[in-house]
Amino acid sequence: MGYAGLQLVNTMFMQELCERMTRQFDCDQVMHQKDDLSFLRVDRDRLESALMYLKTHEGFVHLSFVTVIDYIEDGFFRLNYMLYNYDKATNIGVQVDITRENPSMHSIHHLWAQGWTYQRELKEMYGIDFPGSPRVDEEFVLEGWDGIPPMLREFDTAKFCEDRFAKRDGRESQDIKQTMRDNLYPERGES
Amino acid sequence: MKLKDLTSPFYVWQRAFEKPYTQSKPTLNREGAHAYRGFHINDIEKCVGCGTCEEICMNNAIDMVEIAAKDSKKGDSGLVPRFDYGRCCWCALCVDICTTGSLRMSNEYTWAADDPDSFRFTPGVDETSWQDSEHGYRRHPEYDLLKLVRPEMEMLSPDEGLKSFDEVVAGYTHEQAVVEADRCIECEICVATCPANMDIPGYIRAVREENFEEGLRLLYDTNPFSATCGRICTHRCEDDCTISTFGKPLAIRWLKRYIVDQVPAERFAEILNDEITENGHHVSIVGAGPGGMSAAYYLRKKGYGVTVYEAGASGGGMLRYGVPSYRLPDDQLDKDIDYIVSLGVEVKYNTKIGHDIEFQQLMDKSDAIFIATGMDQPSSMRIKGEDHPRVLSGLTVLNDVASHKDPGVGKNVAVIGGGNVAMDAARVCRRLGADVTVLYRRRIVDMPADKDEIKEALEENCNFVLQAIPVLIEDAESSDQVTIQWGEAEMIAEDGKRPRPVLQEDRMHTDTYDSIISAIGQSGDFSFLPQEISDQLKQHWGKFEVDQRQRTAVGKIFIGGDIANDVADAISAIADGKNAAIGIDAFVSS
Repeated sequence: MGYAGLQLVNTMFMQELCERMTRQFDCDQVMHQKDDLSFLRVDRDRLESALMYLKTHEGFVHLSFVTVIDYIEDGFFRLNYMLYNYDKATNIGVQVDITRENPSMHSIHHLWAQGWTYQRELKEMYGIDFPGSPRVDEEFVLEGWDGIPPMLREFDTAKFCEDRFAKRDGRESQDIKQTMRDNLYPERGES
Repeated sequence: MKLKDLTSPFYVWQRAFEKPYTQSKPTLNREGAHAYRGFHINDIEKCVGCGTCEEICMNNAIDMVEIAAKDSKKGDSGLVPRFDYGRCCWCALCVDICTTGSLRMSNEYTWAADDPDSFRFTPGVDETSWQDSEHGYRRHPEYDLLKLVRPEMEMLSPDEGLKSFDEVVAGYTHEQAVVEADRCIECEICVATCPANMDIPGYIRAVREENFEEGLRLLYDTNPFSATCGRICTHRCEDDCTISTFGKPLAIRWLKRYIVDQVPAERFAEILNDEITENGHHVSIVGAGPGGMSAAYYLRKKGYGVTVYEAGASGGGMLRYGVPSYRLPDDQLDKDIDYIVSLGVEVKYNTKIGHDIEFQQLMDKSDAIFIATGMDQPSSMRIKGEDHPRVLSGLTVLNDVASHKDPGVGKNVAVIGGGNVAMDAARVCRRLGADVTVLYRRRIVDMPADKDEIKEALEENCNFVLQAIPVLIEDAESSDQVTIQWGEAEMIAEDGKRPRPVLQEDRMHTDTYDSIISAIGQSGDFSFLPQEISDQLKQHWGKFEVDQRQRTAVGKIFIGGDIANDVADAISAIADGKNAAIGIDAFVSS
């Protein structure tokens, strides 16, 4: 089968899959990003069963990664569980929104053993808890960190850098307005 | 022990003669992915040095620096970003926010050097192997950190507008103003473009923070005609707004108007808190237009006694007599002028220098004089018959309408010219119920009028006849009418110069109108100046030569506004007024 043929089969597979998922798990959002990549959004409490179904019935046996996006303005985190189907060479992302006030999610380490590693990272970087996930409270890459989780949008990275790291000698930045005043209207506009 | 345990080492050994699966180190020339976030590239021709990359950088990795290859100019600070790769994390926010799209990334990612300082570099200036790279990270075309869309301003429809002289532009609502103010990235590039160098990002911030008292104070630091300029300013600042590369420029003018509209006139004194300590010196000002009244405001604040001599019956100059009330209602102009007068500025109306009082008297009694009389003499079309009684000047028509007199233009009018006076005269005639034809010798793009004015004149069904050169004006059959002969013109560019309209004598037309309104330009009337002073003041192309603080060759005399600057708009006159005040203060104190 040529590439175009494979593409068509993939597209149809993904569309049908998403229809089945919508029926069974009441997904409220479906997005076909590419021929081999679709996203579904499910409720917090349907995630485990949705992932279980995709793994055992639809061939998405591989957990590629788990990520999160911080929608600080709207008060929620969007978790993204990315799965891969080797037979069909397709990816599916299952998304779950959880509130920022209660940043806690069911663990999936019983479905994919490596899941606890991602969850430990998310705990450290975003403060999202996964009760029952092995070693979830241990330091992951940050040693001796005592501030708020650094990937949260409210974390002031610029201030952290300013406080923590010295600038190299000789660094100097020029003020835009002052430079233009000095060069273009030195005698005008004073008070 | 099994036999396999003895033989297996040999199986392993046989692999030693096969091609290795691993790659040898160092790995050479492995290209980064095409959208890789590698080392930076900057197109310094496109970069305007707005510093937004520096502002957004979370790691303080960027400095804005001067370079030999680029100077500051309006709309471009001349600075470029210099990176400290000891701090960069290649997050690409600088690329995503770049207002011009000059900054991007290559897919190059290897760089070794002994000297740590060599990792501070200026892309586009320091030579790198990746400056011309085709690949690397680009901002996704549908993904904008900058807010590019401006809230739509509510305006009277052209049909509604034509029914009266009511203000056409409604002004922003509170919600619109805050949304619009939030688009400003505070790069400050516009400040140099504003003739008055207003703190534009500062007062836009005040709108965003809904602190209109602070906004008003910032406006008055540089411009005591903010209600006026918030309506009719030529808003050159918006031309250089960095957001305009990809989107609509900030509505700077409307935001200024929004601030002034929020503060009732009664509260100005309390908010601006202009305390005046008399310094015993006196300055005379000729002309109560925006230039003269601005100088009066800033001089008064410095404690000078100020007398303004105005030939007309009220203040505002061309703002009152030249700008129709549908663009600038009288009460808004009064709001600005009344506050200036309330500080103790004396204005002598209906007082013409050289007629009611001699210029020499001002010289004798004042420590300094500021002249800002403006250009109120219509220029001649220099064609035969232009003194026909049915030929009116645009300024006279506007003046009559401003004074609530009927200019008597009739029902079918031709307006000659392409500047703001021509557009205003045309639109005023439409409101008086006339059909209007605008004859202009060049193309629309060449018109000196504001783009908004041209657009609104077209929307109000003014008929534009372009590349039309008037040749002769004659009596029509009826004595209430006038006939104009005009010829079509071709735009011809000679040796790279601006194209010039050239009359095509085989394509002549003759039309008859109730009146012809000439609005092709103005000049100043300086007959009030005594000859010996006039001789000392240098003129060039009808404008007085002055320095940055409006000083002239005569120590006591400062000149500004339309008769001194080439721009000849309200905001430039206001800037001249303020700078004259600074210049006069320095002169009198020395």
